[in-house]
Amino acid sequence: MKGVERKSGDLEGLFKGLLDKKAVDCLILPHRVGNNVAHMMVTDKEKIESPVPAIFAPSFSVNAANVVKGWTIGEKIGIVAKPCEIRAAIELIKLKQMDKESALLISVDCSGAFTNQDYADHAEEIGDWVDSAKVEELKGKGIAIREACEICDKRLADVGDIGIVRRDGDNVTVVGITDMGVEALSAIEDISLEDKDIDRSEETEKIVAEAKKKKEALPEISSVEALEEFLRDCIVCKNCRDMCPVCYCKECFFDQPLGNPVGGDLLNIAELRGAIAVPANQLMYHLTRVYHVSTTCVGCGACEDACPKDIPLTRLYPVIAEKVQEIFEYVPGKDVEEPLPFTVYEEEELEDKLR
Amino acid sequence: MGEETTKEEEEEFEPKIVGFTCNWCTYAAADLAGTSRKKYPPNSRIIRLMCSARLDPMFVLKALLNGADGVFFSGCHPGECHYIKGNFYARRRIAAIRTILKQLGLDNRFKSYWISASEGEKFANTMKGLAEEIKELGPSPLRGKVL
Repeated sequence: MKGVERKSGDLEGLFKGLLDKKAVDCLILPHRVGNNVAHMMVTDKEKIESPVPAIFAPSFSVNAANVVKGWTIGEKIGIVAKPCEIRAAIELIKLKQMDKESALLISVDCSGAFTNQDYADHAEEIGDWVDSAKVEELKGKGIAIREACEICDKRLADVGDIGIVRRDGDNVTVVGITDMGVEALSAIEDISLEDKDIDRSEETEKIVAEAKKKKEALPEISSVEALEEFLRDCIVCKNCRDMCPVCYCKECFFDQPLGNPVGGDLLNIAELRGAIAVPANQLMYHLTRVYHVSTTCVGCGACEDACPKDIPLTRLYPVIAEKVQEIFEYVPGKDVEEPLPFTVYEEEELEDKLR
Repeated sequence: MGEETTKEEEEEFEPKIVGFTCNWCTYAAADLAGTSRKKYPPNSRIIRLMCSARLDPMFVLKALLNGADGVFFSGCHPGECHYIKGNFYARRRIAAIRTILKQLGLDNRFKSYWISASEGEKFANTMKGLAEEIKELGPSPLRGKVL
């Protein structure tokens, strides 16, 4: 693997170089807004804030891949984001919502993120970067990372075209993962790439084991009654759909008369059944969404963040999606060349899952 | 849905089953079962699709949420699809939706089969077995709910 050493506060040149050398036409970058971190799309390299440690800030606002849903233009966009966001972007490429050639995906090591609110409230204490020890320490003080992050076992920057890997202290290694990534990096003037041997299997193992423990401790939705209770407060605002990076239909079924009956349609259904819950189709909406994102859900937790009623949707979507992904042995966002499970088949398979 | 229904149900619960069959195999098998005068319980309401691959898992969800006690799907045997590969795609979708239903304990109310056009007897026997199975399970937990 080819890469280059940097300090965490010294990455400005990298991003400026990408814009300067036209490796990308624009960059999606996290930037500071007051106490908090949000995304910006930048085309003018002078607008890149210095220094740029905001890219490591453990705060989650919107899934950056959501911004480029339907990026059907030829201009190249660079996305600097957490691995879950990059994996969502890769799924969008596979779903033909974005062209592979028009995206330079740069993943950044993540050790879990706080909600915007928690991060803003405790920005000084949390700082620009947390390692797993700091996460535990903060948890002791009652400041916990998002549930979606606790159960996430894919936090390392090993997806996309370029990875920004956090080493000990404030040392950072920027590695080219794909040919496109290596090419982009080598175009930058002051970067000379060296061969890097990065073995993170031990780290990965530890993360996977910890995430598994957290996942098992999560309360399970194991019956339809439990699901009803779980969704009790849902007002069908569909924010979870809008903020989901991989829920991409241009015209959602639940925005159409059949999925969202009003007026006479609604009355007719009520008459047919004696009584119906309103807003209508709450369970149908969520179960359909569970199915629709079942192979592509990257477990970023954007749905939960978006829920105005604070329903812990991480316990629904990523948890069930993972079970579906298991039967297809599919890991969303792992490899851009791997086909989506529903687009391929094998002649003999799955018979034990049908009855 | 008042007490009366409940009483009636206690006496003899007759499950309502929604079935989706493909035009070329299982629907023809149902036809064959009819013309060969094979008897099977009248619990199933069959909806004909042109192909297995037309089965959107949303159909299954909708049937269950609207109170169907059972749902089944049946199409051509894998490898024998009229449209060459429709049932291969359908099989993946069915496996996915069943995995989701399993999580909610509803997977035993959604069955799928492969029944070819010549298997009229198998169709009748399958319907018999399915009706008994669903009868044993009792009414769907979603039946009569305000959803």
